[in-house]
Amino acid sequence: MISVADLLQDNQIPANYYGYDAYIKGDLELGLLESRRGDRLIAVPDTLIQALYEGLEQETGQASRLVLFNCGKWWGKNFYTRFSEEISDYYGKPLAELDMILFLQCLKECWLTHGWGRIEFDPTYQNQGFLMIKTYQSPYSKKLAKPRPSCFMEAGILTSFFSRLTGRDLLAIQISCESMGSDCNRFVIALEDRLAIVDSSIEEGLDYESIMTSLLS
Amino acid sequence: MDAKIKDLIEQAQDRYLKSDELDLLDGYVKSLPERLTLYKLLRDREIEILQKVADRAEIELNKTDTADIESGIKNLILVMRYCAMGMLLNDENFLKQRLLRWLEQIMALKEMRQINDVLYKLLNQILRQELSTHQLSLIQPLITTAQVTLIY
Repeated sequence: MISVADLLQDNQIPANYYGYDAYIKGDLELGLLESRRGDRLIAVPDTLIQALYEGLEQETGQASRLVLFNCGKWWGKNFYTRFSEEISDYYGKPLAELDMILFLQCLKECWLTHGWGRIEFDPTYQNQGFLMIKTYQSPYSKKLAKPRPSCFMEAGILTSFFSRLTGRDLLAIQISCESMGSDCNRFVIALEDRLAIVDSSIEEGLDYESIMTSLLS
Repeated sequence: MDAKIKDLIEQAQDRYLKSDELDLLDGYVKSLPERLTLYKLLRDREIEILQKVADRAEIELNKTDTADIESGIKNLILVMRYCAMGMLLNDENFLKQRLLRWLEQIMALKEMRQINDVLYKLLNQILRQELSTHQLSLIQPLITTAQVTLIY
């Protein structure tokens, strides 16, 4: 027999932790934006990201990709920690015990509320051992002098995030990009040695479908 | 507060409000005592009302896993709390933006439609017995919005 009083034992029923109205708080007098837990948030101007890309390209040339990717990885490590603390505090259980639907929904809402665009999980290649993440309206998708996928920081954040989540050393590589006219940014995530051919395929200018076909063959 | 009143408040920097605009605000303020009474009723009788839904749901959904019905009831508790606040504020968007968009996506993946169908039918039956016609007219549109979003 169902007892509503028991269901309401701790009175709070968790819903959408990252709902925009509930998540973003501000202390106008101090000039601070904060999350509902009190962590600081800042709004980054789009032109700053553009300037980072151009400044790094000028100073370090090709190495700029790696620098941005590593910044993303560092960010992803901290993002994972914050995300898992927030979610496990709110839902009262560790991230690992959260059901998959709820976990993905939280990640999507978190992405949206921070203004990073939309994120989607595409399960098409899951059984073959490849995770596919799609992002839309990414602030990191910038047209480069030589066209190629350019969300290096996002690739970094996804690399760390999914490595920490699964406890294995995974790598995320971007195989389609909004800056090159694609409908979204696609990142293929797998163990590093399974993605060995991807870099050269991107240099050859192959599209994501051809890259996936060669990964699966 | 509904969107029209929010818009009026935004006008503060440009001009004073016209009489018919103030009437809108006046109408809302005058409806507040009733809204507060209904809010308190829903708050104080939350467990009683939802227990009735749960008891009948267990009979109607006797082939369904109890854990799934419990999960449906928990979501119904949330929906009722947001409906009550939306009714108090006279703001359907409060319910839509804060809760329904989220629940809709979780439910779509979980195939909760059949359970929700029964739960909302029972909730509506019980509220018709428990509330006055006027009280029903304040809260029903919000519940219907939730029902339509989550079931159809």
